[in-house]
Formats: sequence, structure tokens, C-alpha cells
Amino acid sequence: MNAPHQDSLDQALAKLPRDVQPRRDLWQGIRSELGSAQTLESRPSRSSGMRWYQMAAAVLLVIASSLTTYVLMRESNVQEPALADQEPSRPALTVMPASFAGQGLGQDYAQARASLDQQFEARLASLPGPAREKVQRNLADIRKAAHEIADTLAQHPNDPLLQELLLSTYQSELRLLADVAQMTPAPVTRVDL
Amino acid sequence: MLLRVPRNDSVVNVERESMTDAHLVAAARGGDMHAFERLYRVHSARVYGLCLRMTRNPDIAEDCVQLAFVRAWRNLQAFEGRSAFGTWLHRIAVNEVLSHQRNHGTREESDEEAIAEHVEIEQAPSQFDAMDVTDVERALESLPEGARHAMVLQAVYGYSHEEVADMLGVAVGTCKAQVHRGRRLLRQRLGMAEVE
Repeated sequence: MNAPHQDSLDQALAKLPRDVQPRRDLWQGIRSELGSAQTLESRPSRSSGMRWYQMAAAVLLVIASSLTTYVLMRESNVQEPALADQEPSRPALTVMPASFAGQGLGQDYAQARASLDQQFEARLASLPGPAREKVQRNLADIRKAAHEIADTLAQHPNDPLLQELLLSTYQSELRLLADVAQMTPAPVTRVDL
Repeated sequence: MLLRVPRNDSVVNVERESMTDAHLVAAARGGDMHAFERLYRVHSARVYGLCLRMTRNPDIAEDCVQLAFVRAWRNLQAFEGRSAFGTWLHRIAVNEVLSHQRNHGTREESDEEAIAEHVEIEQAPSQFDAMDVTDVERALESLPEGARHAMVLQAVYGYSHEEVADMLGVAVGTCKAQVHRGRRLLRQRLGMAEVE
């Protein structure tokens, strides 16, 4: 098996050094390449993993809020028509978070929302107390989700998924405002006659 | 049939390095650049030796080493630890060499003198017969590309035929044939009699 000639070749190869020092220190070039590419920031990490869990939770929250509000609105139309005009006070619309004020969405969004806000406030005032609170709570949930998405987007401004997610959340808010604003006020029914 | 070249590393050193690598890799995966620099300090000479012998050009070899470490950093999350970090790194380096040769042609001008002198200077003369090392280095360098790549990885760096085939993207049979051819040519060029 181990012929003398094989041994001599293997011995000769074994003399070759495996390690050969580069003529210069290559680390500086590597370091600058890594720094210029902002690799550290773009690398996935545990905290960014947590971010994605938050993103997923935010999406679920938005969907759940929209559905709950939709169902609630339908029920309140049918079941609680008479209490609407007995509600004298009208709660102000929650202040719009700065990061949610039409960020990067253009004038159309801002105008549509301003118009809807007006109708929404008017209609919200006519809702019975529990229904109104529910709507406000759902709206707050959507806005909280939008805040979280916007925060994450600020850290990863080029992430197309986050951009889409934020836009979708804005649309959910618009949909909620529109649904409430466009609800036909229930006719007042006299039950004491 | 083919003998594995005896390694100069002691088992103890390899184990200690592996343990250290595991910790350094874990830290580097968490974004610790100093840990990654330490990995560079530990592994760069071997990666460079591999690239130098595959490319036969110190400048290109240095470029490949840099690219390999940059790529390694960017892909650290994908390193599952199923192989040694050094092995994983060598795979990346081999990819960089092959990629460079694909993009720039495989007939790069070699710098024979530079390699021989370079390797000679880096080693302690007392450990090796300098003439023998230079002769073997030149004979290895004179091999056709396919045989040289296979010989460098299999005979010099001790990878199995399967590992070499995987690294080079060839069939195991092709790898064995290239090593066989490389050994035959080396014997001829070093004035050793044919075996078999």
C-alpha cells in the first residue's frame, strides 16, 4: 500500500506550509467594506426577529379591529336606534399621531382623511355609548399598529414589505372612518306611544 | 489508494481552535466585529495559502481572501455549525477563486517567483528544506488548473474527495481523476519514479 514513491511525494507535499501570511494586513480593507455596506444594520438579529413578531401582531390587530367594528356597526344600527339622540356630549376625535399624519402618502390621503374625520366625528357622536367606545378603541388599536410599523420603517426605510404594511394600515384606518361616517343614522322610533 | 497528507497541526491545537471559533462565531453572529476580526486573524493565513495556490497570483489571492471574509460576515447567520468554521470559510474562498476565474478567464498570468519566494520567506528555514519546498511549490503550480485545484484541496489541505468535489462543483469521480493526474504529473516533474 505505502510504496516508497508514494511516501516521498506525500512527504514532499506535507512539507508545504498550509498557512501563508498575506503580504499586507487585509483586515482594514475587509473592515471598510463591511462598514461602507452598513452590514451590521442590515443583518437579521434577534431584535429584528422580535420586530417581525410585532409586525405580525400589528397586522392581526388591524384586521381584528376592522372586523369587530364592522360587526358592531351593523348590530348597533339594528338594535339600538333610539338612544342615539339622547347623547348630548360628543367626544373629540383622538389626536392624530404625527407619524401617522399622511406620512409619505400625499395630499389625496390627507384630504380624504380630513373629510372623513368630519363625518366620522358627527356620526360617532350619534352612536350609543358602548358602541362609540368600541369604535374608539378599535381606531386606537389601528393607530398604535401604524405607529409601530412606522417606527420599524424608520429603521429599515427601504423595506418594501414594511412600506406596504404601513400603507395597508392607513387604508384600514380610512376604511374604518368611512364605514362609521357612511352609516345611515338610525331613525328615531318612539316607543312610549 | 491515495494517501492523506499528514497534517502538521496537533489535535490539541485544532480542538482548542474549534472551541475558540465556536465562541467567536457566536459573538460575531451577534454583530461583534472584534470577534470577527479575531476569526480573521486566526484563519486568514490558511485561507490566503489556499487562494494563492489556486490562483497562482498574490494580488488575486488577496482579493479573494478579502471577498471571502466579507461574504462570510454577511452570511454568518447561515452558518449552521455543521462543519468547522474554517471549512466553511474555505468553501467560500474556493467559490471566490472560481468566480474570479470565471469572470476573468482561467489563464491568469501566474507569478511563480512571487509565490515561491513568498512561501519561502514566511516559513522558518529550520523546519523545512527550503529547496524541496520551493521545488514542490513550483511543480504544484505548474499543474493544469483542474488537477492543481484538486491537488491543493485534497493533498495539501487534506479535504476528502467528496468535499473537494463539492467545493469545486464537479463529480467525485472527476475529482479523483484530477488528483490521480496531478500526482502523476508531480512525480514526473519532481523526478520521482512512476508508481504502479
